[in-house]
Amino acid sequence: MSRNLQPAIHPDADQLSVFVEGAATARERERMLAHLAECGECRKAVFLMQPHEEPQPAAITLEKRWAWRGRTWRWLVPVGVPVAALACALIALLIHIRPHGTPEAPQQMASGRPPEIARPGTTVAPSTNAEADRAAPSRDLEPGPPTDKRERAPAANSELVARSGGAPSAPAKKVLRQERSIAGRSNLPALKSGQATLGVPSPTAGAAPSVVGGPVGSVQTVDSTLAQSTVSMSATSNLPLNGRNFAQLQQLQPTEKGAASQNTLAREKELPALQIQGASGQAQTLAGISGRITDRSGASIAGVTVTVRDAAGKTRQTTTGADGSFHLTQLPAGQYGLTATATGFKTSNQSIELKPSEMAMLQPVLDVGSVSAVVEVEAGATSIQTESANVSDQVEETRGARRGSAALSTRPILATVSQGKRVLSLDDAGNLFLSRDEGKKWKKIKPQWAGKAVRIESTTAASGKASANAKDEIGGASEGAVFQLTTDAGTTWGSKDGLHWHQR
Amino acid sequence: MDIPPANITQAESSGAEERAASLAEGIALGTELTAENRLLPVKLGEELWRAAGAELVEVSRVEFAEALETIGARDNFGVDAEKQADERQRETFWRGLHLEELAVARGCALGRESAWQRFLAQYREPLTRAAVEMTGSAALGEELASALYSELFGLTERENKRWSPLLRYSGRGSLMGWLRAILAQRRVDQYRKIGRETELGEIEPAAAVSEEPDLERLRDLRLAIKMTLSEASAEERFLLSAYYLDQHTLQEISSVLRVHVATISRKLNRATERLRKQLLRTLKARGLSWRAAEETLGTDPRDLDIDLRKLLQKSEGDPIPDKEGQG
Repeated sequence: MSRNLQPAIHPDADQLSVFVEGAATARERERMLAHLAECGECRKAVFLMQPHEEPQPAAITLEKRWAWRGRTWRWLVPVGVPVAALACALIALLIHIRPHGTPEAPQQMASGRPPEIARPGTTVAPSTNAEADRAAPSRDLEPGPPTDKRERAPAANSELVARSGGAPSAPAKKVLRQERSIAGRSNLPALKSGQATLGVPSPTAGAAPSVVGGPVGSVQTVDSTLAQSTVSMSATSNLPLNGRNFAQLQQLQPTEKGAASQNTLAREKELPALQIQGASGQAQTLAGISGRITDRSGASIAGVTVTVRDAAGKTRQTTTGADGSFHLTQLPAGQYGLTATATGFKTSNQSIELKPSEMAMLQPVLDVGSVSAVVEVEAGATSIQTESANVSDQVEETRGARRGSAALSTRPILATVSQGKRVLSLDDAGNLFLSRDEGKKWKKIKPQWAGKAVRIESTTAASGKASANAKDEIGGASEGAVFQLTTDAGTTWGSKDGLHWHQR
Repeated sequence: MDIPPANITQAESSGAEERAASLAEGIALGTELTAENRLLPVKLGEELWRAAGAELVEVSRVEFAEALETIGARDNFGVDAEKQADERQRETFWRGLHLEELAVARGCALGRESAWQRFLAQYREPLTRAAVEMTGSAALGEELASALYSELFGLTERENKRWSPLLRYSGRGSLMGWLRAILAQRRVDQYRKIGRETELGEIEPAAAVSEEPDLERLRDLRLAIKMTLSEASAEERFLLSAYYLDQHTLQEISSVLRVHVATISRKLNRATERLRKQLLRTLKARGLSWRAAEETLGTDPRDLDIDLRKLLQKSEGDPIPDKEGQG
């Protein structure tokens, strides 16, 4: 069958998974998107592939709150937009002014504008409109003609809102539009004041946030790497408001909600400002990675070292927080390799292409490295530390026995011990398996003991003790070495070959 | 008013078998590799074979090297189709693969017992869970998963050979991701078999609505939308389809594209806005006054939606070509 004869070739599972996991090249991605744009079925498949994340308890409460707000907000749209625009500008300023890191790159500031342009007259209390501030930043902070352009965007949106929510009458829409244009006009003063404040080049961090619109002294250095994330964040406000997204939006990443995220949020507010000020060149090409690392069950893993390596071999590193999340920003766009390493887990590698001004999302899943609690002894092999900073290396070395053990039982393996070529493996149901060829072939051992086996060890007959002492074993493995098994009843059984057992 | 044929032609060609078959060529295990087109250095091959733990799943050095070669050739080592990958690019490509998972998949496809044991131990449970999640029902999910198992196990024969879709796994993404993808495809195939009637039914009322108002205007509008859409980028078209047509949330789109939800929102906004502007411009160029054009767009907000829907639904060629490497 020639694929040219087919009217439309759908991507196969491999292409889909490569695309969904972000491992596709730019061109492959482009083609995939072009196909997906047209093909409802593949689109369906792609969305079906997404794992449904169960929100954590903390997330639920937040979500509920925001869901409620989402509804409120919709009603605010016609009335609140002009107010929101102003409030937002003020809040952006306030946040901007708040001490936040040390000013370090004064060259990023654009030409200082005379402070007198600032309009202190904007009287909207910023606190009244927490949600309003989401509504406007990108519009407010765009200079000149773009402002005009942006101003129309919401118009389109709210029409779409209207569409999804049922058609409003035509006059109602006109009213909306008028209000919008008012909002647009009233944006201008806000914009100016923003510029003025930013423009004052006196780097005294820590000015009181209460000074609004005046010639405030603190000029925040905007972290240019954050630019894209900031910009994108501010754009959240511009969502097509058809109601269904808002609650969802809030559950983003659990990390976004944490206290730490407030920080980023605050920083993000500054970013549009940076854009106005014109230091946009670099900001346009930078990108970031953000994500959460979980194990197969979906539980977050804290303390994972995440390393990104660019094509030139330069690396950046970070560690995941308590909720398993990590963020790396200020990365130039391009191809990266991402490695996640954690004690007790297999190292995960993946490649990702970062596009300019985009915050990529990754959710690497780490497999348990199945480090058993019992020291594994293999003649001639180095001993394994069960607690070590570089478990991944150890896993590498003892892969043989372990890999085998993973395959023999479908249940989780509790412990694996070996002597010479003989390997014994115990799963959590108490089943014992024996391999005589280093884990290639396995045989289930018929229990000769009463009760459930809960522990196996490799011991020497002489000491009769658990083999925490690997070195002794290696020397005398052939002589007095035996296996020892403990049942849940507390009885101990021994065996020389792992096959025949007798109580001790 | 003509109803676009939606996805039916496409749907008919998209059965699981055809899909697999169309993509099977050239990547089947038995692809001949002559001495000249062998690109994998022996030393690297050995190293990767070891790293993958291929021995434990009874995949030989030769078999594994062959897998690496075919995958590299198929995807042109991740470089653009017209370019030739140099040695370093090839090595990077191979090293970036999920080698262990690739070894397991190959071992399974080759029918190796230990590979199957490993596969079942590692993926059976998550796969069933994923299937249940996708179908939203335990019974359906298990049915879907077990159907996939037998398929993966190679119960289907092709040219008198046992053939498993696992042969198609390249290792570029994770094996679990691949399994999810194939599950999702099978699920969509099921939808199609079961739900074609209902899908057609859904199109009817939309057509009825759009027949009511000024036909002339709507025709203009449709043409304008069509022109505008043809200029939009693939990503924008995807966003518009996913958002307006499939009614996915921004969050869902964000996780598919692995881009921050705010970025998606911004892009979608931009696309919608551009579309609207372009539409106004086109309508104006066709002789309508600005006001009339705005009115046309606004007669019934749902009209535009419907039109978007139909136009986006209509698949006019531009299928995704098979892997880049094959041009």
